Amino acid sequence: MEVDVIKSKISDALVSILEHDNFEMHDELTAKDVDGWDSLSHMMIITKIEEEFSIRFKLRDLNKLKNMGSLVSVIQTKI
Amino acid sequence: MVFNSLDFVVFIIPVFLLYWLVFSKSNIYQNLFLLAVSIFFYAWADWRFLILLLGSTLINYYLGLKIYRTPEDRKKSIFLYIGLVFNVGLLLYFKYFNFFYEGFYEILNVFGSTSTYNSLVILLPLGISFFTFQTLGYLIDVYNEEIEPSENLLDFSVFVTFFPKILSGPIERASSLLPQIKEKRVISYEVSVDGLRQILWGLFAKIVVAENCALIANPIFNNYENESGSTLLLGTFFYAIQLYADFSGYSNMAIGVSKLFGIQLMRNFSTPFFSTNISDFWRKWHMSLTTWMMDYVFTPLSFTLRRHQKKGLIISIITTFVLVGFWHGANWTFVVYGLLHGIYFIPLVFSGKMNTSEIVAKGKLLPSLKEVFKMILLFVLIMLTDVFFRVESVSVGFEYLKRIFSLSIIDLPSVLFSSTTLITSALIGFFILVEWVNREKKHDFEIGNYNIYLRWISYIFIFVLILIFGKSAETFIYFQF
Repeated sequence: MEVDVIKSKISDALVSILEHDNFEMHDELTAKDVDGWDSLSHMMIITKIEEEFSIRFKLRDLNKLKNMGSLVSVIQTKI
Repeated sequence: MVFNSLDFVVFIIPVFLLYWLVFSKSNIYQNLFLLAVSIFFYAWADWRFLILLLGSTLINYYLGLKIYRTPEDRKKSIFLYIGLVFNVGLLLYFKYFNFFYEGFYEILNVFGSTSTYNSLVILLPLGISFFTFQTLGYLIDVYNEEIEPSENLLDFSVFVTFFPKILSGPIERASSLLPQIKEKRVISYEVSVDGLRQILWGLFAKIVVAENCALIANPIFNNYENESGSTLLLGTFFYAIQLYADFSGYSNMAIGVSKLFGIQLMRNFSTPFFSTNISDFWRKWHMSLTTWMMDYVFTPLSFTLRRHQKKGLIISIITTFVLVGFWHGANWTFVVYGLLHGIYFIPLVFSGKMNTSEIVAKGKLLPSLKEVFKMILLFVLIMLTDVFFRVESVSVGFEYLKRIFSLSIIDLPSVLFSSTTLITSALIGFFILVEWVNREKKHDFEIGNYNIYLRWISYIFIFVLILIFGKSAETFIYFQF
Protein backbone atom coordinates (compact mmCIF):
# COMPACT_ATOMS: atom_id res chain seq x y z
CA MET A 1 0.00 0.00 0.00
CA GLU A 2 1.22 3.51 -0.82
CA VAL A 3 2.47 5.56 2.12
CA ASP A 4 0.00 8.31 1.22
CA VAL A 5 -2.93 5.90 1.30
CA ILE A 6 -1.79 4.58 4.70
CA LYS A 7 -1.49 8.09 6.04
CA SER A 8 -4.90 9.13 4.85
CA LYS A 9 -6.45 6.05 6.45
CA ILE A 10 -4.67 6.84 9.73
CA SER A 11 -5.90 10.40 9.48
CA ASP A 12 -9.49 9.15 9.06
CA ALA A 13 -9.09 6.96 12.14
CA LEU A 14 -7.80 9.91 14.17
CA VAL A 15 -10.65 12.16 13.10
CA SER A 16 -13.27 9.55 13.95
CA ILE A 17 -11.92 9.02 17.49
CA LEU A 18 -10.80 12.53 18.39
CA GLU A 19 -13.63 14.30 16.58
CA HIS A 20 -11.45 17.05 15.17
CA ASP A 21 -8.89 17.47 12.40
CA ASN A 22 -6.61 20.10 13.93
CA PHE A 23 -3.43 18.28 12.99
CA GLU A 24 -1.17 17.99 9.99
CA MET A 25 0.05 14.60 8.93
CA HIS A 26 3.84 14.42 8.76
CA ASP A 27 6.44 11.87 9.87
CA GLU A 28 7.49 13.78 12.98
CA LEU A 29 3.94 14.22 14.28
CA THR A 30 3.63 12.81 17.80
CA ALA A 31 0.64 12.15 20.03
CA LYS A 32 1.68 15.13 22.16
CA ASP A 33 1.11 17.48 19.21
CA VAL A 34 -2.50 16.40 18.78
CA ASP A 35 -5.22 17.61 21.12
CA GLY A 36 -6.85 14.80 23.04
CA TRP A 37 -4.45 12.08 21.91
CA ASP A 38 -3.33 10.67 25.23
CA SER A 39 -2.89 7.28 26.83
CA LEU A 40 -6.64 6.82 27.12
CA SER A 41 -7.72 7.69 23.59
CA HIS A 42 -4.60 5.95 22.29
CA MET A 43 -6.13 2.47 22.65
CA MET A 44 -9.26 3.52 20.79
CA ILE A 45 -7.14 4.93 17.97
CA ILE A 46 -5.04 1.76 17.86
CA THR A 47 -8.16 -0.42 17.70
CA LYS A 48 -9.59 1.76 14.94
CA ILE A 49 -6.37 1.50 12.92
CA GLU A 50 -6.35 -2.28 13.38
CA GLU A 51 -9.88 -2.43 11.97
CA GLU A 52 -9.09 -0.12 9.05
CA PHE A 53 -6.09 -2.15 7.93
CA SER A 54 -7.29 -5.57 9.20
CA ILE A 55 -4.08 -6.05 11.15
CA ARG A 56 -3.13 -6.88 14.75
CA PHE A 57 -0.56 -5.04 16.79
CA LYS A 58 1.51 -6.54 19.57
CA LEU A 59 2.14 -4.69 22.82
CA ARG A 60 5.78 -4.40 21.83
CA ASP A 61 4.83 -2.72 18.53
CA LEU A 62 3.01 -0.15 20.60
CA ASN A 63 6.14 0.71 22.52
CA LYS A 64 7.99 1.31 19.26
CA LEU A 65 5.55 3.98 18.13
CA LYS A 66 7.41 7.24 18.57
CA ASN A 67 5.82 9.34 15.86
CA MET A 68 3.69 9.15 12.72
CA GLY A 69 6.64 7.89 10.65
CA SER A 70 7.16 4.90 12.94
CA LEU A 71 3.42 4.18 12.98
CA VAL A 72 3.39 4.05 9.19
CA SER A 73 6.41 1.74 9.07
CA VAL A 74 4.98 -0.61 11.71
CA ILE A 75 1.74 -0.79 9.69
CA GLN A 76 3.74 -1.50 6.53
CA THR A 77 5.36 -4.54 8.14
CA LYS A 78 1.92 -5.91 9.02
CA ILE A 79 0.01 -5.60 5.73
CA MET B 1 16.93 12.63 58.38
CA VAL B 2 14.03 14.62 57.00
CA PHE B 3 14.65 17.61 54.72
CA ASN B 4 13.11 19.99 57.26
CA SER B 5 15.51 19.08 60.09
CA LEU B 6 18.61 20.77 61.41
CA ASP B 7 20.44 17.46 60.86
CA PHE B 8 19.76 17.79 57.16
CA VAL B 9 21.07 21.36 56.98
CA VAL B 10 24.27 20.27 58.74
CA PHE B 11 24.51 17.36 56.29
CA ILE B 12 23.70 19.11 53.02
CA ILE B 13 25.97 22.17 53.21
CA PRO B 14 29.31 20.30 53.39
CA VAL B 15 28.00 17.70 50.90
CA PHE B 16 27.09 20.47 48.43
CA LEU B 17 30.50 22.16 48.82
CA LEU B 18 32.50 18.93 48.56
CA TYR B 19 30.49 17.85 45.50
CA TRP B 20 31.21 21.00 43.52
CA LEU B 21 34.65 21.93 44.89
CA VAL B 22 36.41 18.60 45.43
CA PHE B 23 34.58 15.91 43.45
CA SER B 24 33.67 17.84 40.31
CA LYS B 25 36.62 16.76 38.15
CA SER B 26 34.74 14.04 36.30
CA ASN B 27 31.41 12.30 36.45
CA ILE B 28 33.10 9.24 37.98
CA TYR B 29 34.19 11.31 40.98
CA GLN B 30 30.76 12.93 41.15
CA ASN B 31 29.01 9.56 41.06
CA LEU B 32 31.34 7.90 43.56
CA PHE B 33 30.69 10.78 45.92
CA LEU B 34 26.91 10.72 45.35
CA LEU B 35 26.81 6.97 45.97
CA ALA B 36 28.78 7.31 49.23
CA VAL B 37 26.54 10.16 50.37
CA SER B 38 23.38 8.28 49.39
CA ILE B 39 24.48 5.18 51.28
CA PHE B 40 25.22 7.32 54.32
CA PHE B 41 21.84 9.05 54.01
CA TYR B 42 19.93 5.77 53.76
CA ALA B 43 21.94 4.17 56.58
CA TRP B 44 21.21 7.17 58.78
CA ALA B 45 17.48 6.65 58.23
CA ASP B 46 17.56 2.85 58.54
CA TRP B 47 20.88 1.00 58.35
CA ARG B 48 19.25 -2.43 58.76
CA PHE B 49 17.98 -2.51 55.20
CA LEU B 50 21.06 -1.14 53.51
CA ILE B 51 22.04 -4.65 52.41
CA LEU B 52 18.57 -5.09 50.90
CA LEU B 53 18.83 -1.83 48.94
CA LEU B 54 22.32 -2.61 47.66
CA GLY B 55 21.45 -6.27 46.95
CA SER B 56 18.40 -5.22 44.97
CA THR B 57 20.56 -2.73 43.04
CA LEU B 58 23.08 -5.46 42.12
CA ILE B 59 20.45 -7.98 41.07
CA ASN B 60 18.53 -5.48 38.93
CA TYR B 61 21.77 -4.29 37.33
CA TYR B 62 22.64 -7.85 36.41
CA LEU B 63 19.12 -8.67 35.15
CA GLY B 64 19.02 -5.52 33.00
CA LEU B 65 22.20 -6.59 31.22
CA LYS B 66 20.98 -10.19 30.91
CA ILE B 67 17.69 -9.14 29.32
CA TYR B 68 19.52 -6.90 26.87
CA ARG B 69 22.26 -9.34 25.91
CA THR B 70 20.12 -12.45 25.48
CA PRO B 71 19.37 -12.77 21.77
CA GLU B 72 16.39 -15.14 21.98
CA ASP B 73 13.04 -13.58 22.75
CA ARG B 74 11.86 -16.44 24.91
CA LYS B 75 14.97 -16.39 27.09
CA LYS B 76 14.79 -12.61 27.30
CA SER B 77 11.34 -12.87 28.79
CA ILE B 78 12.53 -15.47 31.32
CA PHE B 79 14.98 -12.92 32.72
CA LEU B 80 12.25 -10.30 32.73
CA TYR B 81 9.97 -12.65 34.70
CA ILE B 82 12.76 -13.35 37.19
CA GLY B 83 13.03 -9.58 37.64
CA LEU B 84 9.28 -9.15 38.07
CA VAL B 85 9.08 -11.99 40.59
CA PHE B 86 12.09 -10.65 42.49
CA ASN B 87 10.91 -7.03 42.74
CA VAL B 88 7.21 -7.71 43.25
CA GLY B 89 8.20 -10.50 45.64
CA LEU B 90 10.23 -8.10 47.78
CA LEU B 91 7.29 -5.75 47.94
CA LEU B 92 4.78 -8.52 48.67
CA TYR B 93 6.91 -9.98 51.42
CA PHE B 94 7.84 -6.79 53.25
CA LYS B 95 4.65 -4.87 52.71
CA TYR B 96 1.78 -7.25 52.14
CA PHE B 97 2.70 -10.53 53.80
CA ASN B 98 0.51 -10.09 56.89
CA PHE B 99 -2.37 -8.77 54.79
CA PHE B 100 -2.55 -11.94 52.71
CA TYR B 101 -1.66 -14.15 55.67
CA GLU B 102 -4.60 -12.82 57.68
CA GLY B 103 -6.85 -13.03 54.63
CA PHE B 104 -5.90 -16.67 54.18
CA TYR B 105 -6.86 -17.50 57.78
CA GLU B 106 -10.11 -15.60 57.49
CA ILE B 107 -11.04 -17.70 54.46
CA LEU B 108 -10.17 -20.86 56.42
CA ASN B 109 -12.41 -19.63 59.23
CA VAL B 110 -15.29 -19.24 56.80
CA PHE B 111 -14.95 -22.95 56.13
CA GLY B 112 -15.17 -23.76 59.82
CA SER B 113 -11.52 -23.79 60.75
CA THR B 114 -10.84 -22.45 64.21
CA SER B 115 -7.13 -21.88 63.79
CA THR B 116 -5.91 -18.42 64.66
CA TYR B 117 -3.13 -16.45 63.11
CA ASN B 118 -0.29 -14.58 64.67
CA SER B 119 0.86 -11.72 62.50
CA LEU B 120 4.56 -11.83 61.80
CA VAL B 121 6.60 -8.83 62.79
CA ILE B 122 7.96 -7.61 59.45
CA LEU B 123 9.59 -4.21 59.39
CA LEU B 124 8.98 -2.15 56.30
CA PRO B 125 12.23 -1.09 54.62
CA LEU B 126 12.13 2.66 54.01
CA GLY B 127 11.45 3.68 50.45
CA ILE B 128 10.85 0.11 49.25
CA SER B 129 7.65 0.99 47.36
CA PHE B 130 9.51 3.72 45.55
CA PHE B 131 12.77 2.03 44.62
CA THR B 132 11.23 -1.32 43.62
CA PHE B 133 8.88 0.52 41.23
CA GLN B 134 11.81 2.37 39.77
CA THR B 135 13.82 -0.81 39.13
CA LEU B 136 10.72 -2.63 37.83
CA GLY B 137 10.17 0.15 35.30
CA TYR B 138 13.84 -0.05 34.33
CA LEU B 139 13.69 -3.78 33.57
CA ILE B 140 10.46 -3.49 31.57
CA ASP B 141 11.92 -0.59 29.56
CA VAL B 142 15.04 -2.62 28.77
CA TYR B 143 12.89 -5.59 27.73
CA ASN B 144 10.73 -3.39 25.49
CA GLU B 145 13.88 -1.93 23.95
CA GLU B 146 12.85 1.53 25.06
CA ILE B 147 16.23 2.08 26.71
CA GLU B 148 19.63 0.44 26.77
CA PRO B 149 20.65 -0.93 30.15
CA SER B 150 23.34 0.74 32.17
CA GLU B 151 26.66 -1.02 31.55
CA ASN B 152 28.20 0.84 34.43
CA LEU B 153 27.42 -0.45 37.93
CA LEU B 154 28.37 2.86 39.54
CA ASP B 155 25.92 4.82 37.34
CA PHE B 156 23.19 2.29 37.99
CA SER B 157 23.76 2.36 41.76
CA VAL B 158 23.40 6.14 41.80
CA PHE B 159 20.25 5.79 39.69
CA VAL B 160 18.68 3.54 42.35
CA THR B 161 20.02 5.08 45.55
CA PHE B 162 20.24 8.83 44.74
CA PHE B 163 19.48 10.27 48.17
CA PRO B 164 17.00 13.11 47.43
CA LYS B 165 14.44 10.63 46.10
CA ILE B 166 15.27 7.35 47.87
CA LEU B 167 12.83 7.66 50.78
CA SER B 168 9.68 8.89 49.04
CA GLY B 169 10.23 9.46 45.35
CA PRO B 170 9.53 10.88 42.82
CA ILE B 171 9.59 7.43 41.22
CA GLU B 172 12.09 8.18 38.48
CA ARG B 173 12.32 6.76 34.96
CA ALA B 174 15.58 5.41 33.63
CA SER B 175 15.09 7.28 30.35
CA SER B 176 15.21 10.61 32.14
CA LEU B 177 17.52 9.99 35.12
CA LEU B 178 20.23 7.64 33.76
CA PRO B 179 21.43 9.96 30.96
CA GLN B 180 21.87 12.73 33.55
CA ILE B 181 23.96 10.45 35.75
CA LYS B 182 26.14 9.38 32.81
CA GLU B 183 27.10 12.99 32.04
CA LYS B 184 29.33 15.18 34.14
CA ARG B 185 27.22 17.79 35.94
CA VAL B 186 28.19 21.44 35.68
CA ILE B 187 27.09 23.87 38.35
CA SER B 188 24.55 26.47 37.27
CA TYR B 189 23.72 29.45 39.43
CA GLU B 190 20.18 29.69 38.02
CA VAL B 191 19.38 26.01 38.58
CA SER B 192 20.77 26.05 42.12
CA VAL B 193 18.82 29.16 43.07
CA ASP B 194 15.68 27.70 41.52
CA GLY B 195 16.28 24.58 43.63
CA LEU B 196 16.52 26.71 46.77
CA ARG B 197 13.24 28.42 45.86
CA GLN B 198 11.55 25.06 45.47
CA ILE B 199 12.97 23.92 48.83
CA LEU B 200 11.67 27.09 50.51
CA TRP B 201 8.20 26.57 49.06
CA GLY B 202 8.21 22.86 49.97
CA LEU B 203 9.28 23.73 53.50
CA PHE B 204 6.42 26.22 53.80
CA ALA B 205 3.90 23.67 52.46
CA LYS B 206 5.13 21.01 54.86
CA ILE B 207 5.84 22.68 58.19
CA VAL B 208 3.40 25.56 57.95
CA VAL B 209 0.41 24.36 55.93
CA ALA B 210 0.45 20.59 56.43
CA GLU B 211 1.42 20.65 60.09
CA ASN B 212 -1.14 23.30 61.04
CA CYS B 213 -3.85 21.40 59.15
CA ALA B 214 -2.83 18.28 61.06
CA LEU B 215 -3.36 20.14 64.35
CA ILE B 216 -7.01 20.57 63.37
CA ALA B 217 -7.65 17.33 61.50
CA ASN B 218 -6.01 14.90 63.95
CA PRO B 219 -8.23 15.54 66.99
CA ILE B 220 -11.34 15.41 64.78
CA PHE B 221 -10.40 12.07 63.22
CA ASN B 222 -9.25 10.64 66.55
CA ASN B 223 -12.48 11.60 68.25
CA TYR B 224 -14.93 11.33 65.36
CA GLU B 225 -17.63 9.55 67.41
CA ASN B 226 -18.22 12.66 69.48
CA GLU B 227 -18.13 15.32 66.79
CA SER B 228 -20.97 16.88 64.82
CA GLY B 229 -21.42 16.26 61.10
CA SER B 230 -20.28 19.77 60.29
CA THR B 231 -17.09 19.38 62.35
CA LEU B 232 -16.35 16.06 60.63
CA LEU B 233 -16.82 17.74 57.27
CA LEU B 234 -14.39 20.44 58.30
CA GLY B 235 -11.99 17.70 59.41
CA THR B 236 -12.02 16.17 55.93
CA PHE B 237 -11.27 19.58 54.41
CA PHE B 238 -8.21 20.13 56.57
CA TYR B 239 -7.03 16.57 56.06
CA ALA B 240 -7.28 16.86 52.25
CA ILE B 241 -5.17 20.02 52.33
CA GLN B 242 -2.76 18.41 54.80
CA LEU B 243 -2.25 15.37 52.58
CA TYR B 244 -1.56 17.52 49.54
CA ALA B 245 0.70 20.03 51.32
CA ASP B 246 2.60 17.21 53.03
CA PHE B 247 3.44 15.21 49.94
CA SER B 248 3.76 18.06 47.45
CA GLY B 249 5.92 19.84 50.03
CA TYR B 250 8.11 16.78 50.37
CA SER B 251 8.30 16.44 46.57
CA ASN B 252 9.25 20.06 46.04
CA MET B 253 12.01 19.73 48.63
CA ALA B 254 13.29 16.50 47.05
CA ILE B 255 13.32 18.02 43.56
CA GLY B 256 14.89 21.22 44.88
CA VAL B 257 17.67 19.35 46.74
CA SER B 258 18.35 17.32 43.61
CA LYS B 259 18.71 20.50 41.55
CA LEU B 260 21.52 21.57 43.88
CA PHE B 261 23.44 18.58 42.51
CA GLY B 262 22.62 19.40 38.90
CA ILE B 263 20.05 16.62 38.50
CA GLN B 264 16.47 17.30 37.41
CA LEU B 265 13.90 14.91 38.90
CA MET B 266 10.41 14.63 37.45
CA ARG B 267 7.55 16.82 38.55
CA ASN B 268 5.29 15.09 41.06
CA PHE B 269 2.40 17.54 41.52
CA SER B 270 1.09 20.13 39.13
CA THR B 271 -1.48 22.11 41.16
CA PRO B 272 -3.94 19.16 41.19
CA PHE B 273 -6.79 20.96 42.91
CA PHE B 274 -7.13 23.27 39.93
CA SER B 275 -8.77 20.49 37.94
CA THR B 276 -12.23 20.29 36.47
CA ASN B 277 -12.58 16.52 36.24
CA ILE B 278 -11.13 13.41 37.88
CA SER B 279 -8.95 12.44 34.95
CA ASP B 280 -7.44 15.91 34.93
CA PHE B 281 -6.82 15.59 38.67
CA TRP B 282 -4.91 12.33 38.33
CA ARG B 283 -2.73 13.80 35.62
CA LYS B 284 -1.56 16.32 38.19
CA TRP B 285 -1.53 14.28 41.43
CA HIS B 286 1.48 12.13 42.39
CA MET B 287 2.41 12.15 38.72
CA SER B 288 5.44 9.88 39.04
CA LEU B 289 3.19 7.11 40.38
CA THR B 290 0.22 7.66 38.06
CA THR B 291 2.34 7.84 34.90
CA TRP B 292 4.11 4.68 36.08
CA MET B 293 0.78 2.92 36.55
CA MET B 294 -0.42 4.25 33.18
CA ASP B 295 2.60 2.90 31.33
CA TYR B 296 3.10 -0.44 33.07
CA VAL B 297 -0.42 -1.42 34.17
CA PHE B 298 -3.12 0.53 32.35
CA THR B 299 -1.59 0.47 28.85
CA PRO B 300 -0.86 -3.29 28.70
CA LEU B 301 -4.23 -4.05 30.29
CA SER B 302 -6.32 -1.78 28.09
CA PHE B 303 -4.36 -3.05 25.08
CA THR B 304 -5.29 -6.62 25.94
CA LEU B 305 -8.93 -5.63 26.48
CA ARG B 306 -9.16 -3.19 23.54
CA ARG B 307 -11.71 -5.28 21.64
CA HIS B 308 -14.16 -4.82 24.51
CA GLN B 309 -14.38 -1.09 23.82
CA LYS B 310 -15.70 0.90 26.75
CA LYS B 311 -16.17 -2.12 28.99
CA GLY B 312 -12.51 -3.00 28.51
CA LEU B 313 -11.53 0.57 29.25
CA ILE B 314 -13.55 0.66 32.48
CA ILE B 315 -12.13 -2.66 33.70
CA SER B 316 -8.63 -1.39 32.96
CA ILE B 317 -9.19 1.91 34.74
CA ILE B 318 -10.70 0.34 37.85
CA THR B 319 -7.97 -2.30 38.09
CA THR B 320 -5.31 0.38 37.68
CA PHE B 321 -6.78 2.56 40.41
CA VAL B 322 -7.30 -0.30 42.85
CA LEU B 323 -3.59 -0.99 42.41
CA VAL B 324 -2.77 2.70 42.82
CA GLY B 325 -4.66 2.57 46.12
CA PHE B 326 -3.19 -0.73 47.25
CA TRP B 327 0.33 0.50 46.48
CA HIS B 328 -0.03 2.83 49.47
CA GLY B 329 -0.33 0.05 51.98
CA ALA B 330 -1.67 -3.31 53.03
CA ASN B 331 -5.05 -2.13 54.16
CA TRP B 332 -8.52 -2.44 52.65
CA THR B 333 -8.96 1.29 53.18
CA PHE B 334 -6.51 1.95 50.32
CA VAL B 335 -8.32 -0.57 48.12
CA VAL B 336 -11.60 1.28 48.73
CA TYR B 337 -9.85 4.60 48.06
CA GLY B 338 -8.55 3.34 44.70
CA LEU B 339 -11.81 1.63 43.79
CA LEU B 340 -13.81 4.81 44.39
CA HIS B 341 -11.45 6.86 42.26
CA GLY B 342 -11.71 4.25 39.50
CA ILE B 343 -15.50 4.43 39.66
CA TYR B 344 -15.42 8.24 39.36
CA PHE B 345 -13.96 7.76 35.88
CA ILE B 346 -16.97 5.87 34.55
CA PRO B 347 -19.06 8.97 33.63
CA LEU B 348 -16.04 10.34 31.76
CA VAL B 349 -15.69 7.14 29.75
CA PHE B 350 -19.30 7.41 28.62
CA SER B 351 -19.26 11.13 27.94
CA GLY B 352 -15.97 10.86 26.05
CA LYS B 353 -14.50 13.67 28.14
CA MET B 354 -11.63 11.61 29.45
CA ASN B 355 -9.01 13.47 27.53
CA THR B 356 -9.75 17.01 28.50
CA SER B 357 -6.76 18.12 30.50
CA GLU B 358 -5.98 21.77 30.45
CA ILE B 359 -4.62 24.45 32.68
CA VAL B 360 -7.72 26.05 34.13
CA ALA B 361 -8.27 29.62 32.87
CA LYS B 362 -5.04 29.54 30.89
CA GLY B 363 -3.59 33.00 30.36
CA LYS B 364 -6.37 34.57 32.42
CA LEU B 365 -6.37 36.03 35.90
CA LEU B 366 -9.51 34.33 37.18
CA PRO B 367 -11.47 31.19 36.33
CA SER B 368 -15.03 31.37 35.02
CA LEU B 369 -17.92 30.68 37.36
CA LYS B 370 -18.49 27.31 35.71
CA GLU B 371 -14.84 26.36 36.25
CA VAL B 372 -14.99 27.42 39.90
CA PHE B 373 -18.10 25.30 40.37
CA LYS B 374 -16.48 22.26 38.75
CA MET B 375 -13.26 22.63 40.75
CA ILE B 376 -15.14 22.91 44.04
CA LEU B 377 -17.36 19.93 43.22
CA LEU B 378 -14.33 17.82 42.34
CA PHE B 379 -12.47 18.96 45.45
CA VAL B 380 -15.39 17.99 47.71
CA LEU B 381 -15.54 14.55 46.10
CA ILE B 382 -11.80 14.04 46.57
CA MET B 383 -11.84 15.36 50.10
CA LEU B 384 -14.63 12.95 51.12
CA THR B 385 -12.78 10.05 49.49
CA ASP B 386 -9.60 11.01 51.35
CA VAL B 387 -11.36 9.85 54.53
CA PHE B 388 -10.41 6.30 53.50
CA PHE B 389 -6.82 7.41 53.16
CA ARG B 390 -6.79 8.61 56.75
CA VAL B 391 -8.78 6.10 58.80
CA GLU B 392 -7.52 2.73 60.02
CA SER B 393 -10.38 0.57 58.75
CA VAL B 394 -13.06 0.60 56.06
CA SER B 395 -15.87 0.42 58.61
CA VAL B 396 -14.55 3.50 60.41
CA GLY B 397 -14.40 5.26 57.06
CA PHE B 398 -18.03 4.55 56.26
CA GLU B 399 -19.06 5.40 59.81
CA TYR B 400 -17.22 8.71 59.55
CA LEU B 401 -18.98 9.54 56.26
CA LYS B 402 -22.34 8.46 57.65
CA ARG B 403 -21.91 10.82 60.58
CA ILE B 404 -21.09 13.73 58.26
CA PHE B 405 -24.42 13.29 56.51
CA SER B 406 -26.48 13.32 59.66
CA LEU B 407 -28.68 16.11 61.00
CA SER B 408 -25.76 17.56 62.93
CA ILE B 409 -24.31 18.76 59.63
CA ILE B 410 -26.24 21.97 60.19
CA ASP B 411 -24.67 22.55 63.63
CA LEU B 412 -21.92 25.10 63.94
CA PRO B 413 -18.59 23.19 63.78
CA SER B 414 -16.98 23.09 67.21
CA VAL B 415 -13.57 24.21 65.98
CA LEU B 416 -14.74 26.91 63.58
CA PHE B 417 -13.77 29.98 65.56
CA SER B 418 -10.66 28.71 67.29
CA SER B 419 -7.57 30.79 66.53
CA THR B 420 -5.81 27.75 65.03
CA THR B 421 -8.61 27.27 62.53
CA LEU B 422 -8.70 30.92 61.53
CA ILE B 423 -4.93 31.26 61.18
CA THR B 424 -4.64 27.98 59.31
CA SER B 425 -7.42 29.01 56.94
CA ALA B 426 -5.59 32.25 56.18
CA LEU B 427 -2.36 30.31 55.57
CA ILE B 428 -4.21 27.91 53.26
CA GLY B 429 -5.64 30.92 51.42
CA PHE B 430 -2.14 32.26 50.83
CA PHE B 431 -0.88 28.79 49.82
CA ILE B 432 -3.66 28.37 47.26
CA LEU B 433 -3.24 31.92 45.95
CA VAL B 434 0.48 31.40 45.22
CA GLU B 435 -0.24 28.04 43.56
CA TRP B 436 -2.97 29.64 41.45
CA VAL B 437 -0.68 32.42 40.27
CA ASN B 438 2.03 29.91 39.35
CA ARG B 439 -0.21 27.21 37.89
CA GLU B 440 1.26 27.55 34.39
CA LYS B 441 4.86 27.46 35.62
CA LYS B 442 7.28 24.54 35.84
CA HIS B 443 6.87 24.38 39.61
CA ASP B 444 4.71 26.03 42.27
CA PHE B 445 7.21 28.70 43.19
CA GLU B 446 9.07 29.42 39.98
CA ILE B 447 9.41 33.16 40.39
CA GLY B 448 12.78 33.70 38.73
CA ASN B 449 11.17 36.08 36.24
CA TYR B 450 9.93 38.47 38.96
CA ASN B 451 11.97 41.59 39.57
CA ILE B 452 14.56 41.45 42.31
CA TYR B 453 12.53 43.40 44.90
CA LEU B 454 9.44 41.30 44.49
CA ARG B 455 11.54 38.12 44.66
CA TRP B 456 13.22 39.10 47.89
CA ILE B 457 10.02 40.36 49.46
CA SER B 458 8.49 36.95 48.65
CA TYR B 459 11.42 35.02 50.12
CA ILE B 460 11.46 37.09 53.29
CA PHE B 461 7.69 36.97 53.69
CA ILE B 462 7.60 33.16 53.38
CA PHE B 463 10.62 32.85 55.63
CA VAL B 464 8.90 34.93 58.30
CA LEU B 465 5.71 32.84 57.96
CA ILE B 466 7.84 29.73 58.48
CA LEU B 467 9.48 31.23 61.56
CA ILE B 468 6.18 32.27 63.11
CA PHE B 469 3.84 29.45 62.12
CA GLY B 470 6.20 26.58 61.30
CA LYS B 471 5.87 23.44 63.38
CA SER B 472 8.55 20.87 63.88
CA ALA B 473 7.78 17.70 61.99
CA GLU B 474 9.59 14.41 62.34
CA THR B 475 8.05 12.55 59.47
CA PHE B 476 6.01 12.70 56.30
CA ILE B 477 2.77 10.87 55.54
CA TYR B 478 4.35 9.14 52.56
CA PHE B 479 7.33 7.73 54.51
CA GLN B 480 5.09 4.93 55.73
CA PHE B 481 4.48 3.77 52.17
